[in-house]
Amino acid sequence: MLHCRLVRSTAAHAEITAVRTGDAAAWPGAVAVVTGADLAARGDMAVLFGPVLLDQPVLAIDVVRYIGEPVAAVLAEDPAVADEAAALVEVDYAHLPAVFDAEEAFGSDTARLFPEPPERDPSFVDVTLRADHERNVCNTFTVVKGDVEAGFAAADLVFDDVFDSPAAGAVPLETHAVVADARGDRLTVWSSTQTPYITRRQLALLLGLPLNRVRVIVPALGGGFGAKAYASVEPIAAALSRVVGAPVRLHLTREEEFVTSTKHAMRVRIRTGVMRDGRIVAREATAYYNAGAYAVISPRKVMFGAYGLNGPYAIPHVRTEAHAVLTNTPPAGAYRGFAINQCAWAYEGQLDMIAERLGIDPVEIRRINLLRDGDTFCTGETLDHLRFHDLLDAAAERIGWDPDEPVHRDGDLVRAKGISCVIEGTITPSTSTATVRLGPDGSVDVLTSSVEMGQGIRPALAAGVARHLGIDPALVGVSYVDTDLTPYDQQTTASRSMYSMGGAMGRAADDALHKIRELAADLLEVDPADLEIVDGQVRVAGVEQQSLSLGEVVRRSQVGNVIGEGTLVTSGGLDPFTGQGVGSVHWHQSVGAAEIEVDTATGHVRVLRYTGGVFAGEVVDPVGAEHQCEGCLVFGVGNALMEELVFDQGQLVTGTLADYMVPTLEDMPRHHEFELMEDPEHGEVHGLGEPALPPIAPAISNALYRATGVRIRSLPISAEKVLRGLRERRESEQAAGQVDEVTSVGAQG
Amino acid sequence: MSELQELPDDPGAVKLPDADGRVPVRIDVNGRARTLRVRTTQTLLDALREQLRLQGARSGCGVGMCGACTVLLDGRAASGCLTLAAVCDGTDVRTVEGLEDPSGELSRVQEAFLRHRAFQCSYCTPGFVLALEALLAVDPSPDEAAIREAFSGHICRCGSYSRIMAAALEVAGATDRREQA
Ligand code: FES
Ligand code: FES
Repeated sequence: MLHCRLVRSTAAHAEITAVRTGDAAAWPGAVAVVTGADLAARGDMAVLFGPVLLDQPVLAIDVVRYIGEPVAAVLAEDPAVADEAAALVEVDYAHLPAVFDAEEAFGSDTARLFPEPPERDPSFVDVTLRADHERNVCNTFTVVKGDVEAGFAAADLVFDDVFDSPAAGAVPLETHAVVADARGDRLTVWSSTQTPYITRRQLALLLGLPLNRVRVIVPALGGGFGAKAYASVEPIAAALSRVVGAPVRLHLTREEEFVTSTKHAMRVRIRTGVMRDGRIVAREATAYYNAGAYAVISPRKVMFGAYGLNGPYAIPHVRTEAHAVLTNTPPAGAYRGFAINQCAWAYEGQLDMIAERLGIDPVEIRRINLLRDGDTFCTGETLDHLRFHDLLDAAAERIGWDPDEPVHRDGDLVRAKGISCVIEGTITPSTSTATVRLGPDGSVDVLTSSVEMGQGIRPALAAGVARHLGIDPALVGVSYVDTDLTPYDQQTTASRSMYSMGGAMGRAADDALHKIRELAADLLEVDPADLEIVDGQVRVAGVEQQSLSLGEVVRRSQVGNVIGEGTLVTSGGLDPFTGQGVGSVHWHQSVGAAEIEVDTATGHVRVLRYTGGVFAGEVVDPVGAEHQCEGCLVFGVGNALMEELVFDQGQLVTGTLADYMVPTLEDMPRHHEFELMEDPEHGEVHGLGEPALPPIAPAISNALYRATGVRIRSLPISAEKVLRGLRERRESEQAAGQVDEVTSVGAQG
Repeated sequence: MSELQELPDDPGAVKLPDADGRVPVRIDVNGRARTLRVRTTQTLLDALREQLRLQGARSGCGVGMCGACTVLLDGRAASGCLTLAAVCDGTDVRTVEGLEDPSGELSRVQEAFLRHRAFQCSYCTPGFVLALEALLAVDPSPDEAAIREAFSGHICRCGSYSRIMAAALEVAGATDRREQA
């Protein structure tokens, strides 16, 4: 097996004028040095990939579009030798105009990432593209409801604000890793992907192989959080393996991980019209997603932001638009919470400014506006099973919300509470398939292509299948992913697996039970309709003594095993010009409340307590659910207070875990709790990977606002920004002589 | 907190590299004497993973910030990514693989982590387990503050901190604020 070390671009946007590989190739132990031009010259593989647009080169060809882009690969048996040889590759660049900010890149006259429009991957059918490569736009999505101009005309007050979220890293503790073996006429990859079937399709397209000759095996991952969705390192290892005719391993360093997939930096311009009684009557918002240099999944992601900007409120007149804009920064991809984090950061922050201006309590203004059963969402869907009001009331009670509670002061330390509410969809349409195999000894195999990455999908599926079959979960084994053996699943993202794969699994279990019933009817010489299956036992209804276990049925009927299959396909989708249609098969509803303490001398913010509430439908694995929520809290606290990929002219300056801070135990609130609201009658399982996350940063920020009057509009809430805000407030108070808090803070917009 | 190991007092203890740029080191790993030839730049983490195929210690950052690579070096928690294998000659190294007793029984700490399901992806788990083992070796009943201190250089990105603390407090014999798993 050969180890790969990549030579990465040091230019943000440039033509490659020369790549000198001679010294590297001559380095003792180096087996091969490969460039993008080498791959292109072979003619036996495609050299561009991407899940929607085929825009990303395996190794850069002619042009580099971000600092950190792979330009050449060095292979050696000893990874240390590959490292040494890689340092000897020299690349010359002729710089091109570069752009780093999404709003600047949107229609930029100076910087254009793609002179020609990239081709699209023909098999990605559910995304309608409104790309405009001349304006660096890889997709746009618009949602229109009612008549937004009329709404603003009727409003008593209009608020106009801009909110920013920076690029961030998902930082799975294990970085991306892949081994690819393209010997013979097959390709086998062992990959850390969250999207085995999409990755298989992407690799088949790249190497020109039929799907069934590409095998993707996925062992347990050391975290994913979205960053490992869609092919990224796999095409490189696969192409190199074909070149050298040996298995190739590529395991990213942390520095490389940071430039491989990021959370979209996003700017949101948001205008909201309200009546004096607190009703929101109009919203117009535009989101600029910084997609980075390649589209990856941004073309699909704009949909989530476009309807996400509506928030969980009944607003009669809405026009929201989201643009995914290419810039000379590392590609942004999937990230826990989709783009809903960035949307909520904007609309929930603005809502507290509105509440203050109107003199309405933040909890009350949400009660007034939250969606209720029967309301029409901005997508035209009539919503039901809404529990926002219950979730909000319960969270307010848990945090001890009191509209008249004064801010607590103790010297420089100031304490206050904040609240926030969020709506989020799950991927729709979507498809999962599953197989359940009953053995003659009563044990059960579950074959699934849902990826285990620590979120606990395997124990959760085992618990679900065991319950379905009425047997002990210890009898159920859940597979890891191997596309040669485990059936199709669309992807392990978007908090969809428990609903989608769980649903497919339930159908597969039912199918197996149906077959068991037929077999048992033959064995017992009765009509299948006279049989009942209770607690894993098949018996003639009412006759307890004549019963057979599931295993006995398999054994005695000599069928070897009983195989049940299940498929769950959800349908829906939204029109990209109007946003009308079916946005999501169910809606994640989430509320958060934080109590914070800010040190006004240092600007340092600590989260003392956090409580969240999520509508979970039905909780399958309570410990797993608790883990998912606490995981969201790690991300929420990190996003709120510390995490930011800082770029200087496209060069990442927070590229190690010594510079990029993620929460440790000490950064976490000492007290936290999550309510998982269930609705057993409705009996629908909702995923819990993400819904708890988006309210966290706005709740913390709103608490800071109540504590100090300082409104932070750009994440993270660093001590520096807080101190600056406090100083500005003091100065404007002095200038005004007497403070009119409302005008000095709330109305500036 | 993981600590950097000091260089041996006697400079003669560091051997000079051979023609391949490698030095021989004898390390007692999980109770077994092993002789390795390592590059002078090679980390202990790399030697354990690549040469000895002990993959319990993991790389998360390579710069001493995440704790995933923690091993016990002469009984003290150390970052495998910051420790050069070449200076480990004559040391005693224990990895998570070496915690179970010869009959295969897991350590108290491991049992507690399992009982509390104190992990999600478990990539960070060996680091937390060894940090706690190192602490317990010098303080059999540490209080919460001491445990927090021992975990301060460890990241669990999945967010299993509460259950990790619950497991640790149980082993430490301290009262647990949370109900058990
Ligand atoms: S890999 Fe050693 S501390 Fe992170
Ligand atoms: S369990 Fe995944 S990093 Fe701790």
